[in-house]
Amino acid sequence: MNNKNEIDSKLVSSYNKRKKRKVLGAVGRNLGLTLYAVFALFPLLWMVLCSFKPDTEMYTTVFRFHPTTANYSAVLIGTDYFKAFYQNFVVSAFAVLITIVAGVPVAYALARYQFKSKESVAFTILSFKFAPEILVCLPVFLIFQKIGLYDTYFGLIWVYQLVTMPLLIWVLRGYFEDISVEIEQAAQLDGYKWYEIFLKTLVPLVKPGLVSVGLLAFIFAWNDFTFPLILSGSNIQTITITSLRYLASDTVHYGQVAVASTIAVLPEVIGCLFIQKHLVRGLSFGAVKG
Amino acid sequence: MAQIELEHITKTYGDKTALDDISLCVRDNEFFVLFGPAGAGKTTLLKTIAGIEFPQKGLVRIDGKIVNHVEPLNRNISMVFENYALYPQKTVYDNIASPLRSRLHRESEEDVQKAVVKVAKMMSIEQLLDRRPGELSNGQRQRVALGRCLVRTPNVYLMDEPLAHLDAKLRHFMRSELKEMQSAFNTTTIYVTHDYTEAMSLADRVAVLNHGRFEQTGTAHEMFYLPSNEFVAKLFGEPEINLFPAELTAEGGSVRLKAFDGEVTLTPCADVVPELEKGAKKLDVGIRGNDIGFSFQQEGRDWIRGTVYANEPIGNKVVMTVEALGTKIRLVAPNNTKAELDQEVYLRFNEKNFIYFDYETQKFIVRSDMDRYLRS
Repeated sequence: MNNKNEIDSKLVSSYNKRKKRKVLGAVGRNLGLTLYAVFALFPLLWMVLCSFKPDTEMYTTVFRFHPTTANYSAVLIGTDYFKAFYQNFVVSAFAVLITIVAGVPVAYALARYQFKSKESVAFTILSFKFAPEILVCLPVFLIFQKIGLYDTYFGLIWVYQLVTMPLLIWVLRGYFEDISVEIEQAAQLDGYKWYEIFLKTLVPLVKPGLVSVGLLAFIFAWNDFTFPLILSGSNIQTITITSLRYLASDTVHYGQVAVASTIAVLPEVIGCLFIQKHLVRGLSFGAVKG
Repeated sequence: MAQIELEHITKTYGDKTALDDISLCVRDNEFFVLFGPAGAGKTTLLKTIAGIEFPQKGLVRIDGKIVNHVEPLNRNISMVFENYALYPQKTVYDNIASPLRSRLHRESEEDVQKAVVKVAKMMSIEQLLDRRPGELSNGQRQRVALGRCLVRTPNVYLMDEPLAHLDAKLRHFMRSELKEMQSAFNTTTIYVTHDYTEAMSLADRVAVLNHGRFEQTGTAHEMFYLPSNEFVAKLFGEPEINLFPAELTAEGGSVRLKAFDGEVTLTPCADVVPELEKGAKKLDVGIRGNDIGFSFQQEGRDWIRGTVYANEPIGNKVVMTVEALGTKIRLVAPNNTKAELDQEVYLRFNEKNFIYFDYETQKFIVRSDMDRYLRS
């Protein structure tokens, strides 16, 4: 009897110990994650702070300053920032749209069909990302000048495919390869046509990947600097190029740059928050299992 | 409700031949079982009929019409896939309802619901209808796949090992259910399995496939009693048939078989002798485990002495492996048989049940009382 009580009390104490360790572990984990979040978000926070600082206090590193909205009015009212924002959005959104419409079938074909030099084609597509953009830019600039695509929406959207397409094709190819071909065959025997199978069965299965890679492609397109710098002039101005304007030759208006960046970051942040659920799942490859 | 005909179907993958000049006619309303070891080409054959795989040579006919160029969806075929091929993003209900919602076979939602619930009841998965395939066990997934196949009444049901992942009891139940359904629905079914009991219990006819060729086509009864070669003989029956080489000799006018390096002399039944004398002298003799008598005492001069190598009770019978004459002989004993390992045991072959094969070609020659087996 005594012995039994002893064992019981030992069990209880070991259980308590384990519970305590579990709680401590959770606290430690969360503390670590919080620290990391602060570290990761600090540049963003600093940028927002800078956007409220007057130019004179820009170089103080303490958090005390006289907040002002002068930067905002200078950027938003004084310049055609909104036009650039709109144009940037149009270019990026259409670039991603075309990438999805054209890239998803390509990814499917690369995953499913056997054809000659398939791997070479896939690798060539990936290799578009190897060359530095600036290297590609110069010949493209000359060509665009000749065929009249310089400084047009279409020209930029087209050349953005270099940025967005390889990414989407390679990620989605992995997704399509994970879907067993029998699922398609079953759908065929169920009486569905090929486009119904593609849209109703396959696209939902690759959706997590599609959404996250679409967002990534959008971010890359939105933030791209080299292509619009060289391939667009006064007609089409993206935000990244417009922000250059606040770097005058004599002074740098850091406050105004900060405003431009803060607003430019908004669509990306909002997009990320909206599809957070997909983002985590979608980027861990091979999430589709039968 | 259709007759399936295959004419000289050949299918290769690269330099590997999956189907080698296959011809087959599955009659209307027949329950046809394709049986064979893994990699024999059973699944490829099913997919060829379904139109998912395309043969390099040969014709596929459904109801007399050549369908080589008909899309799978227009062949009106329903299939259970070996790996289930369920739609992961859909619930069990939607999975089963899927064939009834396609443009081709569309029915009103009310009818769909009736059909799905009926099928789910039959598969006893009605409590799982809201789950997704990812949340099911393999046996449950298999039942969902079977449900999706059975919810519609097509020309042909193609079933690729539909019971392989069910537990033994459920498998038994589903087997009788399928048989029952087959007679109620009047549809042609082609069924793939590698379980010989399934093949024997379900099939109107069986085809044994090996390396992309048919070894034998016929009733399960024929497969068991009149196997066309040693391969088929080994596939049917548990424990596996015992095969041993023997030589035909004439001793003082009567024909004898010398087996086990001449240590044993057996006398073939009179009715097989003419057939045996036509062929080669070297034979393989097959005898099934339940045609071997055994005793723990020396009963007579013609009993063969051996020792017990293994004794496996499997419920309704005991499979005993006896080491004798340098080989292992498997026999079936009554379920109350107790035996120590290495215990002495005496065997007697029942000559009436010998199946004779050619030693070289391994092809069937004859067995005693052929007429009886051919009749039934």
